[in-house]
Amino acid sequence: MKHLRLPEFQHMKSYWDPIQNVDVVRILAGECYVTHCHELITTVLGSCVSACIRDTATRIGGMNHFMLPTEKVQRSDNGGTHGLSADAAYGSYAMERLINSILKYGGRRESLEVKIFGGGRIMGGMADVGLQNINFVRAYLRTEGLRIAAEDVGGDFPRRMAYFPATGKVLLKKLRNVRNETIVQQESTYLADLRREATQGGEVELFGD
Amino acid sequence: MATILVVDDSASMRQMVEFTLKEAGHQVMVAEDGQVALNIAQGAPADLVITDVNMPNMDGITLIKELRALPAYKFTPILTLTTESTAEKKMEGKGAGATGWIVKPFNPEKLLATVNKVLG
Repeated sequence: MKHLRLPEFQHMKSYWDPIQNVDVVRILAGECYVTHCHELITTVLGSCVSACIRDTATRIGGMNHFMLPTEKVQRSDNGGTHGLSADAAYGSYAMERLINSILKYGGRRESLEVKIFGGGRIMGGMADVGLQNINFVRAYLRTEGLRIAAEDVGGDFPRRMAYFPATGKVLLKKLRNVRNETIVQQESTYLADLRREATQGGEVELFGD
Repeated sequence: MATILVVDDSASMRQMVEFTLKEAGHQVMVAEDGQVALNIAQGAPADLVITDVNMPNMDGITLIKELRALPAYKFTPILTLTTESTAEKKMEGKGAGATGWIVKPFNPEKLLATVNKVLG
């Protein structure tokens, strides 16, 4: 039997897992999924992070999967800055999308349970992109007054993970013996798209008379 | 420079928007939901209101309707700043009396350009 999807997530595809006996929704980088049903949300994380958040009373919850654009400061046309990083704007948006969807369908901020995963150092280069992602999520949650109930972050390996929002259970496999090239390629493509989108911001519409 | 009331249940968003507006020279009042914003608005006039839509206690759409019922806010520009981007929600906002609709992630320059535009 298919579950009734929340309106924003009608487009997400799922498949039936006969072993876990549950509908599975797989999310990719940049996506977010929230459900009020007994479903399983899965993803594979390299340097990206996922927050798994649920309301322990209403059992509505979900997962996001994102990374920061790591563009340090947004510059104006005349070279000035507004001192606010695209990282903060985009990261907050990614977290708020998840939290807002949970609150919108009956979750309460005071009964949210938060778990965070990912942020591995799997991409080459000087900057530890994974650590920047981890640091952002921790700082964001601290600012929002949300405690981290559990985490598995960092390291130099990707993770395959699965989350049951109804119970809060997480299944996690550290992919120590898997070649990282595919994940690095996927994350690099995502990052390039992200840098284009994140610096533009969302649309603005003025209503007029 | 204007006095702007910023309403968002996310502390991170309030900080970012407040920082952006203050750096541009505006005075900023902040509220964490529509009810708190309404209480502030009844005691202090603002030149502009920037509000989130989904918030506890009183959502942004209800806040806009309540503000429009106050004589001091009948013609005050009110912008939403929200993750909501559907046409239905925008129409709801427009019907309530919103001046404009900004979708997150917010871009500081776009926000300031819009603020300047609606403040005339």
